[in-house]
Amino acid sequence: MAKSTTSTATLSLTGITKRFAGVAALTDVDFEVRPGEVHALLGENGAGKSTLMNVATGTYQPDAGTITFEGQPIGTLTPKLASKLGIAIVHQHPAVLPDLSVEDNLRASLPDKFFTPARDAKKIATELLAGVGLDVDLRDRVEDLSVAQTHLLEIAKAFALKPRLMILDEPTAPLGKEAVDLLFSRVRAEVKAGVAVVYITHRLAEVREMADRVTVLRDGKMRGVSEVAKITDEELLTMIIGRELEHTFPAKSSKPGDVNLRLTGFSGKGFTNVSIESRRGEILGISGVVGNGQSDFMKTLAGLENFSGTVEVGGTALSSRELLRRSAYLPADRLHEGLAMTLSVRENAAILALRKFTNVKLISAPKENKTVLATLNELAVKAPSADANVSALSGGNQQKVVMARALLSEPLIVVADEPTQGVDVGARAEIYRLLREISESGVPVIVNSSDAKELEGLCDQVIVMSRGHVVDSLRGKDLTEARMIKSAVTATTQSVSVIDGSYGARKTSGFSRFLSGDYAPSALLVVLMVVLGGFILSQNGKYLNEFNINSILGLATALGFIAIGQTIALLIGGIDLSVGPLAGLLVVIASFFINDGSPLGSILTGLGLMLVVALLVGLLNGSMIRYLKFTAIAATLTMYIALQGFSFLLRDAPDGYISADVSGLITSKVGPIPVAFLILAIVAVVLEWALRNRRWGWNLRATGSNEESARRIGINVNRTMIMAYVWSSFFAFAGAIYLLAQLGVGDPKQGVNYTLSSITAVVLGGTSLLGGRGSFLGTVLGAVLLIQVMNAIVFLGLTDMWTYVFQGLLILVAAIVYSVARNRQKQKGRA
Amino acid sequence: MTQTETGSRVLKASRFRLSKGLLTMAISLAVLFVLSATLAPSSVSVNVVSSWLQFSAILAIIGLGQMLVVQQGGIDLSVAGAVSLAIVVSSQVPNGHDDGIPLAIVYGLAYAIGAGLLNAFLIGFLKLNAIIATLGTNALLFGAVLMVSGGIPQISTQLLQDLAGGDTFGIPNSMYVALVVLLIVVVVSKKTVAGRRFEMVGANPRAGKAMGLRVRSHEGLSYVWAQILYWLAGFLIAGITTQPTAYMGNAYLLPSVAVVVLGGTSLLGGRGYPVATFVAALFLKQLDQFVISLGVPYAVQTIVQAAALAIGVAIYTVNWRSVRTRISSLVAGKPKAAPAAS
Repeated sequence: MAKSTTSTATLSLTGITKRFAGVAALTDVDFEVRPGEVHALLGENGAGKSTLMNVATGTYQPDAGTITFEGQPIGTLTPKLASKLGIAIVHQHPAVLPDLSVEDNLRASLPDKFFTPARDAKKIATELLAGVGLDVDLRDRVEDLSVAQTHLLEIAKAFALKPRLMILDEPTAPLGKEAVDLLFSRVRAEVKAGVAVVYITHRLAEVREMADRVTVLRDGKMRGVSEVAKITDEELLTMIIGRELEHTFPAKSSKPGDVNLRLTGFSGKGFTNVSIESRRGEILGISGVVGNGQSDFMKTLAGLENFSGTVEVGGTALSSRELLRRSAYLPADRLHEGLAMTLSVRENAAILALRKFTNVKLISAPKENKTVLATLNELAVKAPSADANVSALSGGNQQKVVMARALLSEPLIVVADEPTQGVDVGARAEIYRLLREISESGVPVIVNSSDAKELEGLCDQVIVMSRGHVVDSLRGKDLTEARMIKSAVTATTQSVSVIDGSYGARKTSGFSRFLSGDYAPSALLVVLMVVLGGFILSQNGKYLNEFNINSILGLATALGFIAIGQTIALLIGGIDLSVGPLAGLLVVIASFFINDGSPLGSILTGLGLMLVVALLVGLLNGSMIRYLKFTAIAATLTMYIALQGFSFLLRDAPDGYISADVSGLITSKVGPIPVAFLILAIVAVVLEWALRNRRWGWNLRATGSNEESARRIGINVNRTMIMAYVWSSFFAFAGAIYLLAQLGVGDPKQGVNYTLSSITAVVLGGTSLLGGRGSFLGTVLGAVLLIQVMNAIVFLGLTDMWTYVFQGLLILVAAIVYSVARNRQKQKGRA
Repeated sequence: MTQTETGSRVLKASRFRLSKGLLTMAISLAVLFVLSATLAPSSVSVNVVSSWLQFSAILAIIGLGQMLVVQQGGIDLSVAGAVSLAIVVSSQVPNGHDDGIPLAIVYGLAYAIGAGLLNAFLIGFLKLNAIIATLGTNALLFGAVLMVSGGIPQISTQLLQDLAGGDTFGIPNSMYVALVVLLIVVVVSKKTVAGRRFEMVGANPRAGKAMGLRVRSHEGLSYVWAQILYWLAGFLIAGITTQPTAYMGNAYLLPSVAVVVLGGTSLLGGRGYPVATFVAALFLKQLDQFVISLGVPYAVQTIVQAAALAIGVAIYTVNWRSVRTRISSLVAGKPKAAPAAS
């Protein structure tokens, strides 16, 4: 790399070596990028490009090598330091928060100083989006954006930071032509201003269009670096391909039989118009750069998605449903789709063949063991025992368990997606042999692999896909790694979604945005309250008298405060079952300190103690969940029981009358309205504002929306979650203050009901139990409506039964209406 | 077959595996018994043991129902309403006449299956959150409780008292019923095709879907099976406590979740441990008896329960191996970061 450089390199990596569990991912790699330069990074799937960039952004620490940034040697590069230095990366998988609006996504991800003055925030955000040609409303939820729009948002975030070095990881994959042109012109402008750009791509055409220099990696090693103008496509291809073969493949089909698989005009989500025939004894391979529709194709062939066109196996056309039942699908994502990790090897292998092992109706263990063990042993699965959990096995042996399940199920067709990913070399050879045996037995075998060399060795026929289209079909002596890669990297097709028209500006009307927004439930609740109130008033003229209004709002005050705390717990995707008993315990504590005639000091001590206990409980809840990995239900249920115990420990029967003066102060009112309710309303408004406009609120919603993305944009997830439980307890404390005046005595039995009613109020207010979206105003309205309904029972002279019936219907109808509205909006967004 | 190594790698099935949950609960129960016998002998007297078995049986049946729901990654808060409704139907419908019992059974089961189907529809089909849906169903069930009872308790019929509250060979009848329920749950979930698929779907719904299993049906129906067990428990309670009140089911909500968790079934779903859940019910009830016999207040009993639950969850969820390695690496001085391979 001894090129004469007039300027200092922006980033220079020398002699980088990185190993994972002893396997070298990078060996002695040099890479540098200069200011005002676009440096393309080329290489096959798994050549080490992403690993190298993870080293460059501080995500991985190299085992050897040095990093220099603008002439300064960097000892240890951390993600934090990297972003401080001005290194920005646009990942293939955007770190966005689906439940937040476009504007909130930008504000949550970017530093505050970026949006100063705050009143210009909208204008600044709009300019950012315009800069990358993203034409969406700032108020749209990111969940409703298309894949391409989400990518543009991610790119906008990277540009906003005005980085010194920008890494673009296959940025054009989901984009249409216009967006790509716009992106390129933006990149060129940045480069002109002296920014250094690393551009990872698989497309030679893009390298020619954008890059000044190109570095090629293969097998984690440097293959060369050159100025783009001085190298031909053929020379580049030679550098990319030619990996060493690590293992032998079984012999290919010598005498193919009749056609046993025929796809005609096979189209589905993410790919289109695949027509191909395969013969008995042949293995069909699917090649291409990862993420070009291959996995969608495999999923659809396994019957998991609907398709158009026909699939004939052995001369019979199969529907999607039949494919689902009769195909053996080996998913690429074994962990999530392939195996139940907490079940045993035997249970996983046998699951689709159980009917074969039954005597009368019961599964016979000897029969099951005999057949399943025979298959497992034939596949040479290595495990401590057949009853060991699958999670204890190596990747290769797990894949063999999936294959054993496939074999035992006697499938019509085998669909293997990345069957050797994460599998050790020894097990690979056995997997190849098995796939060959299945194929020879007459069952069509389709293999998708990101490893072209593997397909060259294994398959009799390979189709190459690019952005959802078949761009080449190879057989015989044409079936080589070189041809596959050439077809993939020289393809210029546009993504299927681009052609479908699902890319591009989808405009949402103001009304439908409101319906899917956070305030639709609140509006609904207000309408319900007015209708209900009007009806009761028509039945009973005393309904709106001062006493009744005061009583409704008073009851709603305690519930409202506690429910606000619950809202915070739900916003982060958790739940706090302990709020009810906590409020009860705090009142019991108060009953020892705040009595008639207590000195001020005693009253203050009581309040202080209540606050300390509340905060401690919140801290404990949060720590159990984050550090001991309890589920939120288990942790707060344990706390629920314990707090109840402490209440009874302090008072086994109601005692300790609360000071009338203090009660009077707490329950003082303005006209018919309790002062405490006014405080509740102000608190809700302030919190609501903070939830939308302050980092506190973005962090809460971001964490609940997508923990992983939240972490990637730099939110301290642990602290956010633990603090959420502390806040939840704090508001239980606020509720308890009103409750102590209302109850007037330390009663250990009181309070527990607030757990379930607080959840009810929050759900009525439209806060999602999945986290990420909600509203404090809605919660307070929910609390008032709930109390109003209880109160209505009395006024209408109905029996207690109706209390429960109304309560049940209210929560169910609200849950159904909100969830149906949300799903419809989602489907519209995806259509 | 390219067998390159010796026969030592031939896979065998190991039978009679004892789950961690069962082992933990069995040892805990044994220790508790020794403690009870030495520190509070009255807690292991014949009368106390008999009532212990009776109430353990009820909790075990309810706990097994909750376990089926938890296995599908859900949670059932409608336990309270369901048990209460079963109790009032079993005592109100016969109105003191023994020949009304069959009708009470029919009504009770019909309500139970109806409530189960409602939950199944809301959670399996509409994909509502289990907490919200069962909270709503619970309120509706209490509405039905008050509709049936009118708020006035009714004495159970003599036959029901004899059947549910009686003894056979010195052991309460309810315990026999609980054992039969346990046997059925074990056999159906471990020995039938449907049961094995049920566990698979609960352990990994996405994998179940990719295999073509009926994920929604299994998930939804778990609530129906649970309701049937709640009904059975309520029916027995009606016989045991001759004059039942309308809200007796409330006392079972938290313990039902506690025994499931103590038995080792993960709240995230997957494999169920029916025997361990059963033993956990015995343990929790004996803990009550022990603490009562010691003469300490009800409060301590509750706190001990919470502590047992916390320790129980910690045993199953905390990754003790990683804790040990972290501690030892801290002692050694150099914590080693090992990022996952890309």
